[in-house]
Amino acid sequence: MSIKMSLSYQKIWLKLKRSPVMDVTKFLIVVAVLIWVMARGTQQLGYNWQWYQVPKYIFQFQDGEFSFGPLLFGLSMTFRITAWGLVLSMTIGLVTALLRLSNSFFARIVARGYLELIRNTPLLVQIFFLYFVLAPIFGFSRFFAGVLALSLFEGAYASEIFRAGIVSIHKGQWEASHSLGLNIFDTYRCIILPQAIRRILPPLTSQAISLIKDSALVSTIAIYDLTMEGRAVIAETFLTFEIWFTVAFMYLIITITLSITVNALENRFRIQT
Amino acid sequence: MQEKKLGDYIVTVDRISKTFPNGVCALRDFSTRIRRSEVVVIIGPSGSGKSTFLRCLNGLEEIDSGSIVIDGTPLDENKKNRLEIRKEVGMVFQSFNLFPHKTVLGNIILAPGLVRKKSKDEARKMAMDLLMKVNIPEKADSYPSQLSGGQQQRVAIARALAMRPKVMMFDEATSALDPEMIGEVLDVMKNLAREGMTMIVVTHEMGFAREVSDRVIFMEDGCIVEEGTAEHFFSNPQKERTKLFLSQIL
Repeated sequence: MSIKMSLSYQKIWLKLKRSPVMDVTKFLIVVAVLIWVMARGTQQLGYNWQWYQVPKYIFQFQDGEFSFGPLLFGLSMTFRITAWGLVLSMTIGLVTALLRLSNSFFARIVARGYLELIRNTPLLVQIFFLYFVLAPIFGFSRFFAGVLALSLFEGAYASEIFRAGIVSIHKGQWEASHSLGLNIFDTYRCIILPQAIRRILPPLTSQAISLIKDSALVSTIAIYDLTMEGRAVIAETFLTFEIWFTVAFMYLIITITLSITVNALENRFRIQT
Repeated sequence: MQEKKLGDYIVTVDRISKTFPNGVCALRDFSTRIRRSEVVVIIGPSGSGKSTFLRCLNGLEEIDSGSIVIDGTPLDENKKNRLEIRKEVGMVFQSFNLFPHKTVLGNIILAPGLVRKKSKDEARKMAMDLLMKVNIPEKADSYPSQLSGGQQQRVAIARALAMRPKVMMFDEATSALDPEMIGEVLDVMKNLAREGMTMIVVTHEMGFAREVSDRVIFMEDGCIVEEGTAEHFFSNPQKERTKLFLSQIL
């Protein structure tokens, strides 16, 4: 009787071990430990946690009217910068990759020059350069400077990802396209790029996430994005720990949303096998 | 062998040479002329320049010297001429090279739509006719990866035919196929020959050569060693190298 019982318990245990329940439990235990460690640490610092103060800096609900708090304004600014940044950097990336692969020596040199210059200097320095040196000369706004710096920087990295994807397409695809009489434009548009982009969605997503996080650096030229608003709120209230946790969490929401969206896209456009 | 009416010269190759950057000389002063509706089979050992010859004809490889004229259009630097030739010469590859992200139908209608500016309906109808011709109309909406090798190659043939080329080239079209599937592809090629298509076929399938070819060319080291009709070739080869090669493969 006891052997039979222990056998069936063993079966249940094995099933449980493999199920998601175990993984989620392990994860929660790790998180709990981390929180405990932080709590101990801050207790020793004598930090006074005031989480209840945080919501009013996110949004306010007064007299039945919903209004944005500074953090949500910052978030919307980050969205604007990131949206422009993503569109521009992907465009710059694709164009640069095509230039690097073109038959024209001049095109290849220009693309390579841009790539090496931008990849080898820090983003922060590029932001300052654009804002303090080029913006006064050409007369563009700090928003433009921030977006431009971000796009040029991330575009350089994106271009190498695009190029890797294009180059990975089997030579036979080019030859078949050539033999059917397609020109280069149609070959890229209909044959090469649809296949290449599907392949590079994972690293491109990482690239997009990098852009979202790097957008925080534009706070250094006083653009009131999420990070800048966070700093402003902390300067007023000294709710350092709570606000930074909240800001980090808000960035996390953006990047995870992007990840999930791209995942869904990947599944939708998967080439049938 | 039925009496076939061969037309005027459609492909004129005059002393072309090609050496690859790594020093390999693939074609040496190679010359030949091919008539309309003629079926030319090219055989020879690996590295003899058979594939290179085909690839030079439609511009996939550049010749170092000599000239190629296809249906009156010379293959030179003129982009329009090159495009014209690419449209009129169809190629079927050993590794099929179908577009994996498009359906079978999509593969076939792509080029006629973009290059010959056919409307989608026109192209679709033509594609279905071609699929009937190669005996796989039911696969129109499948993806290449869902097809067997023989079916994929037949789709590739249909795709090349969709451009209504004047010359069809086959670069070892059955070499990558399982033996059971070679037959179905060869049947399509034989039908094409009977319908009067000008064909240049690089192959090891001697049965095909004997049955449908008008001329067999044996190449080695970038040169023509011997050429003649299929009967002459297989029953009475003249050169020693030809005899040696045939003894190895027959």
